[in-house]
Amino acid sequence: MPDTRHTLSRRDFFKASGLFAAGAAGGAALLGGLRRAQAAPAPQWESKFSACDMCFNKCGLIARVEDGVVKKLDPNPKFLKSRGMLCARGNAGVAQVYDPDRLKYPLLRAGGRGEGKWKRIPWDEALDMAAQKMKEVREKYLPCGHLFSAGTDLHSQFVGRFAEVYGSFNVTSHESLCLVSNNRAFLDTYGEVPFADVLNSKYIVMAGANRFEALVTPDSMDLMTAMRENGCKLVVLDPRYTKTAALADEWHPVRPGTDMAFMLALAHVIITEKLYDPEWIEQKTYGIEQLAEHVKPYTPEFAADECGIPAGDIARIARELAAAAPASMIYPGRRSSDYEDSTQIRRAFAIVNALLGNWDRPGGLLAARAVGLKGVPFDAPWYDENHEDRIDAGKVPMMFEHEGSFLVTRDCVLAEDPYPIKGWLVYKTNPMGTAPNRKKTIEMMHKMDFVTVIDIAMSDTAWFADLVLPSQSYLEREDPCSGLQGSVACACVVKRDPVIAPLYESRSCFDIMKGLANRLELGEYFDFTIDEYRQKQTRDIPEALKVMDRDGVYYNPSKVYGIYDGKIYKTLSQKIELYNQRYEQMGLDPLPRYTAPTRPDKSRFRLIIGRNALVTQTSTANNPLLHQLVPTNTLWINPDSARSLGIADGDLVQVASGAGSQELRAEVTDRIRSDTVYMLSGFNTLSTMQHLSHGNGASINDILEDDYDAITGNASMHTTFVSVTRKVA
Amino acid sequence: MHRKLTLIVATILMAVFTVSMAFAMGGGNARKGKFLYRKNCRSCHGATASDLSPASKTQAEWTATFSDKSKIKCSGEWTVTDQELNDIFSYLHDYAKDSPSPAKCS
Repeated sequence: MPDTRHTLSRRDFFKASGLFAAGAAGGAALLGGLRRAQAAPAPQWESKFSACDMCFNKCGLIARVEDGVVKKLDPNPKFLKSRGMLCARGNAGVAQVYDPDRLKYPLLRAGGRGEGKWKRIPWDEALDMAAQKMKEVREKYLPCGHLFSAGTDLHSQFVGRFAEVYGSFNVTSHESLCLVSNNRAFLDTYGEVPFADVLNSKYIVMAGANRFEALVTPDSMDLMTAMRENGCKLVVLDPRYTKTAALADEWHPVRPGTDMAFMLALAHVIITEKLYDPEWIEQKTYGIEQLAEHVKPYTPEFAADECGIPAGDIARIARELAAAAPASMIYPGRRSSDYEDSTQIRRAFAIVNALLGNWDRPGGLLAARAVGLKGVPFDAPWYDENHEDRIDAGKVPMMFEHEGSFLVTRDCVLAEDPYPIKGWLVYKTNPMGTAPNRKKTIEMMHKMDFVTVIDIAMSDTAWFADLVLPSQSYLEREDPCSGLQGSVACACVVKRDPVIAPLYESRSCFDIMKGLANRLELGEYFDFTIDEYRQKQTRDIPEALKVMDRDGVYYNPSKVYGIYDGKIYKTLSQKIELYNQRYEQMGLDPLPRYTAPTRPDKSRFRLIIGRNALVTQTSTANNPLLHQLVPTNTLWINPDSARSLGIADGDLVQVASGAGSQELRAEVTDRIRSDTVYMLSGFNTLSTMQHLSHGNGASINDILEDDYDAITGNASMHTTFVSVTRKVA
Repeated sequence: MHRKLTLIVATILMAVFTVSMAFAMGGGNARKGKFLYRKNCRSCHGATASDLSPASKTQAEWTATFSDKSKIKCSGEWTVTDQELNDIFSYLHDYAKDSPSPAKCS
């Protein structure tokens, strides 16, 4: 590796992420350490359970609190989903809560939109104004004239409830900038979205996923255990030499956008060499004949040319996967916002898994387990005077109703097609910082009469709002219960109670929604407390709340394997659909058909996105503690490419696309293909009230173009070609 | 007399045809159906009666269920119009467990 200045060593990395400790647990050295620790005076802190909120995983934690101040966050050793781990970001939660850049009181825009001039106002005035503006928007543009966007958070369900009783169908989540196409593909193959039994797998092909850096619990830890203790083989396909690739048995620097060709070739080998279990395929799947015919042209030689992976390797991997089946898998992955056929790419992943016969079996793909939590029903009113559907309806054939598509919605808002949207309420999501083509999101802001943002920090979305309301951090508030799927580790429930008093004038999203509802004569729909809400959620598992108070988590000892024994699959054929009947009816390809991605010409590169275990997009780039570990983002560029452009390591470069242009330092490294460049997201925020990330590095979403998956409207963030030029001082 | 009988038969046939047209289920307003389902059905099919939701059945099962409403036990007590019933059916069908967007509990 030519340059390690910007990277942690492998050992540092695992220390930081907790995986090292997990691997060493129970070792003699650690026990020795414990004995020494016992001799030290007991700390004077109170210990309180909570669940982390530094990413979506919600790892169980114990907050150590002294004089009302959080001193330290430790993992909850009883929390099986994270295997008793709290990663570096989890530890840095303290720095988020006490970040001097946190929002402290309601702020009203006092200058031009995005100009950064604010006026402090009292809460009552803020809520009165927000409610009045919502009323005006509803009168003038009908209920659907207001958009609601909420991120991954336990209070987001209250934003959804508010939108529904207000009468708007227009709700978007973060998921259409992340994983909806993957969910679509697996739902349309198996009838539900699976969880991977990584722990018991003997052979895993991981493509488009980076599980040792983009942490998903328990998969990240279980993968390490499976490899180190159970002899699981890991094959990684990635244009970058990620830390996952570094630890794998094999790394193939696949040509970006060609994963489907690889998967279809695996299917070709497994079918032509009859390496599948014919009885299982006959009983459980639909469409093997059509699939066999379909994959005939997709030979390993064909895929080799596309992917840049030798045909012999592809055929061998297919045989090795089949030999280890059913305890082998194509890892389903999570984020699939990459190409315009990302649903069909993941359909190919799902189909190879079906050929391995791994569904509902040890080491394969598992169905969701029973958690026991119930929904809390409510009877929303009906507004006859309203638009007929979501603003993004009908633009792509198979959008998820409850997620929407942010990019399609944005285009529709800009075009006022089929109707205008003039109000926007955003909670804990930051499309200005995460959605491709930032300029369009700025334009979208200018389309609005009034925008209210609820967040803990002045995100870039908040920066362009009219009214910014400070919310409580996860350690300050009371949250509803949340059911979590932990694959073979557990099915569990967590809740959050305040471990410290709320800082400044912050309020919970629930309280804010309740305040707005009361002002809009919708108070009856929020006439409950969080405690009452939890009681309703846990009505079938009445012991759960007490158990959570005692252990910080409630486990449902539900069935793990064989959930589908004697049951139908939730598809049209009631079997696993290799061949998708609904796609055929809708005029979509019922089997994934490979289209070669356009290749960048010599002067340009494909820009790809990805993760680092210390970064959760824009929500951590300004975290003072994590900033010390990842002080900026850099452009990964291959030494051959850099040489031809006269770029040396550390040079300032300009990266330009059809959407925008940004400047950052080059990191010349052979950890990336020569036709591809990469940078971390979350940096160079517009908001000056994020003083560590503002003006620091480059904003990737300013450069990314806003293509999307043709089936779901999921963003496709690997389709942008950029030029890279050395900046002359 | 013969002519009169023909007219009566024709009228009956037309009425039957019209009724069956009105009961051809599907294509209703699923969003309104959700509201109507909550208002009219969930009082019984909510906390009790096995918490029936669109995701309780497949699309084919919902179609079969509504093809002969007399077999639905509570149908005698219904007070909804045919249009409203069609909206309710559309909601149940469009968010069925094998639909592209299976219902989540709310």
